Order: sequence, then C-alpha cells, then structure tokens
Amino acid sequence: MTRTTQITILVVLFALLALFYQGLWGDPRHIPPVLVDTRAPVFEGPDVESGDPLSSEQYKGKVILVNFWASWCQECKVEHENLLRLYDEFKDHPEFVMVGINYQDEIPKARAYLQRYGSSFPHMQDVKGALAIDFGVYGVPETFVIDKQGIIRHKWIGPIVDGVYANLTQNVLTPLLSDPTPALRQGSGQAT
Amino acid sequence: MFRLLPIPILLCFVFPIAGTAKVVDETGIDQQVREIAKTLRCTVCQTENIWESGAPLAHQMRDAIRERVMQGQSAEEIRAYFHSRYGSYIMMEPPKQGINWLIWLAPFLLLFGGGALLWREIKGWVMKTPAPQPPPTLDETSRRRIERELHENQ
Repeated sequence: MTRTTQITILVVLFALLALFYQGLWGDPRHIPPVLVDTRAPVFEGPDVESGDPLSSEQYKGKVILVNFWASWCQECKVEHENLLRLYDEFKDHPEFVMVGINYQDEIPKARAYLQRYGSSFPHMQDVKGALAIDFGVYGVPETFVIDKQGIIRHKWIGPIVDGVYANLTQNVLTPLLSDPTPALRQGSGQAT
Repeated sequence: MFRLLPIPILLCFVFPIAGTAKVVDETGIDQQVREIAKTLRCTVCQTENIWESGAPLAHQMRDAIRERVMQGQSAEEIRAYFHSRYGSYIMMEPPKQGINWLIWLAPFLLLFGGGALLWREIKGWVMKTPAPQPPPTLDETSRRRIERELHENQ
C-alpha cells in the first residue's frame, strides 16, 4: 500500500469519526435553528401571576422578545437581572413587547421566583409544554425575537449575559424597532 | 415425599411474581404514538428516542404526538411538524437528502473500498510469494553415503 493511500484512508476515517462525534455528542446550542426566518407560532396561555389569559395576538405588529424560563433553572437566575434591565431599556418604545414563558414548572414555585427576583413584564404559563415544542425549545433559558411582521428573526440558547446582551440589544432589537416597514402580519402563524 | 418438596416452594416464588405482572393493554392510538415516538430523537438526551426517554420534554412530546394522532393527523404529518420545529436533528433516521446521503452510503462505500484494498493486498502477497522449488537432486557420492549409513544402522 502506497503512502498516499495510507494517508487518504486515515483522513477519511478521521472525517467519519468527527462526523459521528458531532452527531452523537454535539451541543444542541450549535445546531442551526430551523425556526429563524419563519413565521412565529401563535402562543397563548394564562398569566403566571394573575391567571388572566394572554395571547400573542394582542401583540400583533410589535417586536416581541420571548424568553423561556423556569424557576429550577440556574442559568435563568443568572440572566434574570439582565432581562429586567433590557425591559427597562426598551419598555417606552411603543412597538416593543416582552413576554416570559414559564417552562416545565410548578406555578407556586414560578410565582415565588418572580416575587423573589422581580417581575416587570408579563409571564405566560406553558401548561402542557406545547408552546415550547412549537418554538422548538431544547431547554431553558432560550430567547426569541419576533419582528413586526411576525417572523422569528433571532434565537439564542443560553443566558442573556455580557456580549450576548449587547448583541441582542444593539444588533437585533434596535434595528428591528427602528425598521419603518409597517406590520404586514396577516392572519396567524399557528404551528401546524 | 421429599422429592416433591421443591414444587410448592417453586409455586410460592412464581405466584407472587405473576400477581404483580403488568397487563399491557395497548390501544390502536397507543401503538401509533409508540411507532411515531420511536422515530424521533429526544433533543435533551440525544442518543435515545422520545419513546424510551424519561426526560420531561420527551414526555411532553409524546403527549403532543398523542394529541395529534387523536386529531386524525397521519404519522408523516406529525413527523413533518416535529421536523419543522427542530430540523433534521430530531429524526432518528436522517432524511435521505443533501449531506445525509453520506451517512447512508458511507457503510457501503467503506465496505466496498475496504474489500477492494484487502483484495489488492492479498493479491500482492500472493504475487510476492516465490513458487515452491523442487528439492535439489542428490549427487552420486551423497546418495551412496546415505545408503551406506542406513545400511549400517539396520
């Protein structure tokens, strides 16, 4: 067997091993999100604190930041202060809405969490976990940004901290909020 | 008498176990849910399908499948829904398209390539092995000496 053949075989074997490694032990954070640039699903459910019904339909034509969280999630606690800061930064913009979706949680624990860490924007219950599946959620925290036309423009898996916060506010939210394109949302984008 | 003693002892062990055995009463819907769930990968445990996984998300996915089966959706429609939410990552069996063809064809290519290499190597060894040579002929002096020594030893 010539040296070139031996090297070719080794290269092919290593390439296959790398593919198998990526496929079996790959971090879901690095999997390309399929929902970005597609229509956001309609999401509705009771408010975590008041129990009143909430629906994405009432936010039509606005830029919506959706954050999936849970009281048992440590990374959610890490980002919570930043979420409150982010809401404070954009809350006066008439076209900005922020909604938390409580994921795989017990309501008393979720309420206690919000009382302890603070709550300035509405939080929706994902009663059967169906909203999380509609959004293709792997775990919490996960954050989505939906534009005025109802299209998901950004997804982030993991806590909103440091550089992620800066990127989200400066490169995602600010351009979307300053986009003069009128809301063209027609009908709903219910996941089917 | 003592030879029959193991029988009641054995029955004592068998009946309590039989009493706790679960009766599997699977409906048509359960069966459809199982068949579909086995084709979808658990996104949090990664190497298990959502039928076998004990993760809460897998449990919720099974509920979502059941709901859709009860709504009359076909297995393909349900799989397409999960694919639209999570991409090809969720499919236990990668769809036969794009780079995924590599996964499907690689075993056959490797088998064929490996076989061809092995054939070439074996052929090389065979070619390099010298043909068996006939034993050298004995000269007359040596032949006489061997015969003499054999004769002396008899």
